Parts: sequence; structure tokens; C-alpha cells
Amino acid sequence: MFAKDSGLLQGTLELLVLKTLTWGPMHGYGIATWIESATDDALRIEEGSLYPALYRMTRKGWIKGTWGTTENNRRAKYYKLTVEGERQFREQRTGWQQFSSLVSEVVGTSRAPSWAR
Amino acid sequence: MRNPLRNPFSRPTRARPFEPSPASEVDDELAFHLEERVQDLVARGVDPVVARKQALARFGDIRGVRSECEELLEADRRAERRRDLWADVAQDVRFGVRAALRAPLFSLLAIITIALGVGANAAVFGVVKSVLLDALPYADADRLVRVYAQAKSGTNDRLSLTAGQVVDIAERVRSFERAAVFFPLTQQFAFSTSDTPYPMQAGLAGANFFDVLGVRPVLGRSFTADDMKAGAPPVVVLGHSVWRERLAGDSGAIGRTVRLDGKAVTVIGVLPPGFVGPMGPVDAWVPLDISASLRDAVRARKSSWLGVVARLGPGVTMESAGREVAALGTALEREHPDDADPLVTLTAKGLRDDLAGDVRTQLIVLTASAALVLLITCANLAGALLSRTLGRRQELAVRVALGAARGRLVRQLLTESVLLSALGGILGVLLAAGGLALLRRLSLDIVPAYADLSLDPLVVAGAFLLALATGIAFGVAPAVTAARVDPQSALREEARGGTGTLRVSRLRGTLAAGQIALCVSLVASALLLGRSLWLLTNEPLGFDPDGVFTASFEVRAAEYPTTNARTAFTRLLDERIRAIPGVTDVAFSSALPSALSSRNGFTIDGQQLRSPADMPFVLYASVSGSYFSTLRVGLKEGRLFTSGDRAGAPTVMVISEAMANRYWPSGNAVGARIRMGPDPKSPLIEIVGVVADIRNDLTAAAAEPMAYGSSLQDTGVDRLLVRTTGDPVALAGPVQRELAALNPGMPLYQASTLRTSIDRGFAGRRVPLLLIAGFGGLALLLAAVGVYAMVANMVAARSREFGIRLALGAGRRSIMLLVLRQGGTWIGAGLVAGAIGVTLAVRLIRGMLYGVSPLDPLSIAGAAALLVVAAAIALFGPVRRAVQVDPITVIR
Repeated sequence: MFAKDSGLLQGTLELLVLKTLTWGPMHGYGIATWIESATDDALRIEEGSLYPALYRMTRKGWIKGTWGTTENNRRAKYYKLTVEGERQFREQRTGWQQFSSLVSEVVGTSRAPSWAR
Repeated sequence: MRNPLRNPFSRPTRARPFEPSPASEVDDELAFHLEERVQDLVARGVDPVVARKQALARFGDIRGVRSECEELLEADRRAERRRDLWADVAQDVRFGVRAALRAPLFSLLAIITIALGVGANAAVFGVVKSVLLDALPYADADRLVRVYAQAKSGTNDRLSLTAGQVVDIAERVRSFERAAVFFPLTQQFAFSTSDTPYPMQAGLAGANFFDVLGVRPVLGRSFTADDMKAGAPPVVVLGHSVWRERLAGDSGAIGRTVRLDGKAVTVIGVLPPGFVGPMGPVDAWVPLDISASLRDAVRARKSSWLGVVARLGPGVTMESAGREVAALGTALEREHPDDADPLVTLTAKGLRDDLAGDVRTQLIVLTASAALVLLITCANLAGALLSRTLGRRQELAVRVALGAARGRLVRQLLTESVLLSALGGILGVLLAAGGLALLRRLSLDIVPAYADLSLDPLVVAGAFLLALATGIAFGVAPAVTAARVDPQSALREEARGGTGTLRVSRLRGTLAAGQIALCVSLVASALLLGRSLWLLTNEPLGFDPDGVFTASFEVRAAEYPTTNARTAFTRLLDERIRAIPGVTDVAFSSALPSALSSRNGFTIDGQQLRSPADMPFVLYASVSGSYFSTLRVGLKEGRLFTSGDRAGAPTVMVISEAMANRYWPSGNAVGARIRMGPDPKSPLIEIVGVVADIRNDLTAAAAEPMAYGSSLQDTGVDRLLVRTTGDPVALAGPVQRELAALNPGMPLYQASTLRTSIDRGFAGRRVPLLLIAGFGGLALLLAAVGVYAMVANMVAARSREFGIRLALGAGRRSIMLLVLRQGGTWIGAGLVAGAIGVTLAVRLIRGMLYGVSPLDPLSIAGAAALLVVAAAIALFGPVRRAVQVDPITVIR
């Protein structure tokens, strides 16, 4: 998933990460598997590209990473949403929903342009 | 997250001592991902080796991801370190504020001390900058010169020029690119746009006057040669404020008609705001035509009334232009042997030097005084900071012991002193702004008109930097000393004075002695100047200025063309004013007493001058017969003017005692006859009386010789002097009404009391003196505080020792002597060093002194005595504390 050539936009990946973290703090692996399962593995290409996105979002102050331990007592870096991250999520979600409904409406329309009639 | 328990003095890097490098952190995170994936796959039954391959494949370009992540993390860490640094600074400031609040008296004193030192300097520098450094309100002002006639005797180098000289200068001096003529004084005019006339000052300027100065009108044009021609339509160029106030800033003002002295004149231009001509501030400019003077052969070379400004040609130096002008003066004397005044030659001066001229010395003295105050301020502050840091050795030692980095400690102490000096700097700038606003409102004669006395950003920034530099310079030494604190010994020493105390007390003593030395020079200078002024103001004026109202008016030749008409007008005015209740006497004159400006040359009948250069000059005024009774000037010999001394009767003159004594030492002045001017054919004038002396130059004690003509014979009177039993200020209204009843179009100018105009004559000396005295007082206060702090500190440090001495049987008297000896030694050293300072200071102020010797023992002893008294007061508290030491409390 998330490969540069997968056609998945950078912003879309960030939105998916934000969505994942609304459920609570999670490490990179957890985020990747949650997105995969939520999309029924449909977007499954190159998990590695998730990490630069996480670091970039950290710099932007949307998420914050702290080292903690998993249930199996392994050290892992957990990410959680900051206040700014929550705000970003609400904003981007609205934008995405408007955008996607517009696109699907256009793609699904039966009205032909005048030159095709 | 910031750990609230973190030691505020530790280095920021210590906050995360085990923080892994970005590379290992990224590696750990990616490794965790891969291992989890492998475990997941294995749990689903995949072979571990295959699972590893699959995990890597799903991950993608692991190297690329790793290096990208490392870069991002690196950048993030850098940003965080920067935030940490700022957080530390913020913490230092918070800590500094708390430290300052813990010692409020010390902090307040430090802030006020800096504010006074910086404020004094910023204000004085504001004046110096406006007067000496700022650009004059002319284009390329450093290329402008003013040409004067200069008395060969050296008595006066700023005399006016004749019309003939003006033309010769303009045509023959090749150093000048252009030269313009103007009238160096201002003229009173009645300005009106409708009915009410306003008194205004007008300047008279030649055709290219504004071009030479490089000033372009904001509206319309300036004068052209055509405006100067006889019969040209009358025009006026208005100053910016008159245009704004009287014409409401009308942008269509050009071409409008206004009235000057009732005559219709067309406005042709409006000058930019802030323009001040070399003749001083005026409201309007009218063309100056000298062609009539040139046509009159006598006036062309004999009547000196003009000024010239000129612009140096490209590459010409001021010196070479000066030489050329001087050479022209010599040449003119040769060319016009009959007409040229043999007493004068020509000279050229830079325009700025000319305008700033007299105030330069005073400004240098003021700057030096302000700088001395600042030095004392610095010494004071250094001493205070030193003791304060020393007093905090314990606190600092505890911090070092708890692991505070020494560098961080230095930074903390520096932040504290910078904080204090920044606050002091802000307060100082406010003080300076207030001081300059005050000076502006006083609009002193000593400050040239072009200087705007603004506190510009450069001065503010300079003052602020000065304050910061003071804070840093005198915060560094204590901070470094503190950083060298050995926590173990410092803690063990407890409250006892440490080993460094001796060195520090020596340093403090030197600082206090230095303050005293600086202070002595300042106070001695102030006393010398004060004594000069006191001697000057207490020297009798020669007349009684109290209870006299003065004003001026202008009897215009157009309205009153004959001598008889003018005499009749003044007689009528005299009668009407005498009828005002309270008025006891009325007089007219051509100039106010103590403000005579014209000097006339004369020859005594029957005496032959060896050369024309020997002709004596005396101050001259035309006065009415009642002048002497109005001013209460006593008659010494002969008689005063009577109504019989009128036009047509033999010309008579009254002279002053000084003139009688100088030129008729054997005492036969009354009845003697003289001629005015070098012309042997001019009419003989008989001296009919001798009156008491009047001091004309208020800055000199001896009265100059003076001659008076009768206003009925020499009708150029325009000053009014009215003695009243009431308040002279209240006469302005009634006198104005009487004048308006006689001639409604004639305004009253410069209504004032005689006392006020006399005081204005002293202002030029009083204000710098007041400032220097203020600085002296400030220095005295600061030095006293310095001495107090030094001794108080010494007593505090040695209180344990004193306790032991007392316990061992020493008398309290011996303790007192001990403290006094130590304090006294430093005070004495300061006084001795101050003696050297005084000899340097008086060299600077020598020219400002009057009547006292520069090494006047009274002033210098007075300064020393003042300091000893101030120091004694400062010593009183600490000595008492030393004597009252309770052995039991301090030893326990």
C-alpha cells in the first residue's frame, strides 16, 4: 500500500493515519495493519512509505510519538493525535467527503455533454 | 514534555541524557514493524524464512524510507533544541524577575540609576544631534557659506554688508557657484486675509535666495529676478505654518491676494514645513530689491545692512573660499578709498558653524557633564552588582553543588543585570523624551531655530544600547566571580566574609573613589558657573525693569510721511496711554534697554584722529525725554531732553557716565560737541547731559559707553515703555485698544514686560547652568549612594570581626574609627583624584566663566566640602550599624 506510484495521494494517506489514531494511540505497524484491514487489503502496496508520512506529520505537530511497550512487552513507538491533529482530521474529513461525493456524482452521471448529443 | 522537577540551572542537553541518535531511533521503529509482520505471518503458518522475505517485500524500499525518516527526525530534533533554548531564556528572565523582586530596593535603585544616567545622556545627545549633527534644512548644507564684514580690530566678525559689497561678492568671488542677498534681520508686518491684521515677521530675500539654499516651494514658485524689478507686481512667499493656519492649507492659495501692512500682495509660493532661513524663523518672505541702494552712491558703499549666503562651487574648499573673500575685502578697500569703511574687511564662515556658533562650547560642556554622570552611574552599578553577587555566594554555591552548570549560572546572572538595565534604559528614554519636550516648550534662544530637538530613533537606540552595555559590562565581572565559586569552601564559610572579600572591598573602594573624583569636577564646574551667573545677575542693571510694560509698533512712512506727522502720532499715543489708570510714565525709544544693537562712530570736535581706524564707536539709541524717568535712570550732570529739542532746533545728545568718563576724563563732557560718523561736514551735536550707566550686554558686568539722541530729532522710535503702579502684564489690552483707536490697521507687536525681556537675556546662560547644576546634583547623589553602599558592604562583611573585637574588649569608639578610617581613605583618594579632574574641567568651561577665576578657591573648596558632607551623611548609617554590633548575635 501507499506506494508513491500507487496513485494514492499523500494527503489521503495522512487522512487515513489521522482517522486511525482517532481510536487511540497506536504504533506504525498497528496503523498499517488497521488501514489494510479497514480497506480489505485493497490498498496493500509498500508499507514502508507510511513512516516518512508519520515523521512529517510529527513535524507538523499533528501527531506525537512516544516510546512505550506493547502487550508482548516489546518496545514500540506509539503515536497519538495532538489537539491540532484532531482539528486537522475534522477539517480534512469534511473536505474529502465533499470532494469524493462530487467526483462520484460526475463519474456516475448519465447526462451527456452537449457535443455528445 | 518539560519535567517540572528539572533543575532550572542544568544544560538543556542534560534534559534527555539517554536520548538515542535519530539513526538508531528510526532503525528501532522499522525493525519493530518488520518483526511484528514476520510474527504475524508465522502465526498464520508461513515458514519463518519465507515470512521474512515477504515482510521485506511488503515494506518496499527500506533504505530509502530509513534515510528519509532520519533526515526528518534530525530536522525535528534541531527545531526542538531551538525551542528549548528559548524556553531557557524565558526561564532565565522569569528567574531574573523573581530575583529582582526579592531585592526590590536594590532593583529599584539600579533601575533608577541607569534611567538617570541614560536619560541625561540621551536628552543631551538629542540636543547635540539636532544642533550640531543633523542636516540643516537646506540641500547639501555643508557647501553653504555666509559672508560677513569683519571688524579689523577683531571685536566683531559678524557685521552686515553694503549693497556694493553684495554685488562684488556675487560677481567676483569665483569660489561661489551662486550667491544670494538677504536682510539678516526680520521685519514686522501686519498680515491679513480679511479685516483683522495679525502681527507677523517677514524676511527679505533676493531673487535666488531659495535656489542657493536648495529649498523648493511645496506650492507655486520662489522669487525670480523679475519679482525684484521696480514696478513689478508685489508678491509674497509664505511659510508653511502661515499657509496652514491663515489660509487653512488652501491648495489653491497660489494667486490669492493677501494684505501685508494693508497693501495687496499676491501669494506666489508656499515653502516646505521646517524651513528656517539664516535670518531666523519668519512667517513670510518678500522680495529684497537692492537696486535703489546701488544707485545712491553714498548708500551703496556706506550703509551696511545686508547678508549674503553662497554655495561653494564644485571642488572648492571652505578655506580657499575664505581666502578669496578676504582678498576681495582688501581689493575693495583699495578700489573705493573714499567710500569703503576702513575699519572692516570681509570674511566667510560655514553656514552651520555660523548658525550653531555660540552654543558649541555649551553643548560640549553639557555632553561632558552627561558623560560624567553616566560614568558615575556605571561605577555605582558595578559596585552594587558586585556586592549583590557576593551576597548570593551561598545561594550560588548551593546551586553549583546541586549540579548547575557554571556557564548556565553566568548566563542567569547576566540575564538579571541585562533585565535591570533594559528596564532602566526604557525609563531613561522616557525621561529623555520628557526632558526634550520641556526644552522644546521653553524654545530657548540658545538653541538655533533650525534644531527640532527630537528624540529620533538613532538616539533612542543608542541610549538603549548604552544601558544594555552598562548592564552587561558590570554584570560580567560579578557573574564570572560567581562562577568561580568553590561550593565546598563557600558553603563551609557560611556567613563569614570569604577570602575574596578583601579584593572585592578594594575594588569597591576604587569605584567609590572614582565616583567622588568625577563628581568633584562636575560639582566644581557647576559652582563656578553658578557663581558667574550670580555675579552677573546681581550686578546692577542701571535701570529698574520692574513694573514696566513694553511693546513695539511700526509707524509706516507711507502713512506718516513727514517728521511732524510721526511726532504728532507718538504724542497722541503718549497722551492716550497716560490716561490709562495706573500708568505713571510713558516713553518711546528705538530699542529696549539692554538690547541696543546699533553702534555709531563719532569724532570729538577739535580732535584729530590719527587714522580712521581709531574712530570710537558707542551704543546708540533714540529716546523720548521721558525715557530716563520711566526707567528710573538718574541724571548725573547737565539736563535731559525737553520738548524744545525738536526738529529744527540744534541737535543735542545725552551720554552715559561711562562714555563721559572714557572720552572726557577731565569731566567736561557737558557742553562738548561731537560729529557722528567720519564725515567732517556732518552737523555738530552738543552734549547736554550725562546719565547713569545701563548694562547693555547682560553677560558682561561693565557698562558699555552709550549715547542717546532725542526722539523728536531722530524719529526712528518704535518701542513703547510704560511704567505702571499695577501689573504691567494687564496693560497689553488697554494699550492695544488705545493704539487701535488711533490707527485700526496698526498691530501691537511683542507685548511683554521689561522684566521678561531682561530675563530672556540671561536665559542663554541660565539654562546650561541649570542643566549642569542638575547633573552635578545627580552626580552628588549617586556618589553618596556609592559611598554608602561601599561602607555598608564593608561593615556587613566585617560585622563578625567587629563582634569579636568588642568581645575581646575593644571600645566602640575604636570600631567607629576603624570604619571611618577605611571609608575616609577612599573618600580622600577620590578628592585628590578629583583635583586633577577639576583642572581639566575648568579648561573646558573657562570661556563660560565671568568674574571668577577658573581656579576660584571658594568654588573648588565648596565642591570638596559638599562631597565631604554628602559622604559623611552616607557614612552615618553604616558607622552606626558597626558600632551597634551585638557581639553575642554575630559570634553565635
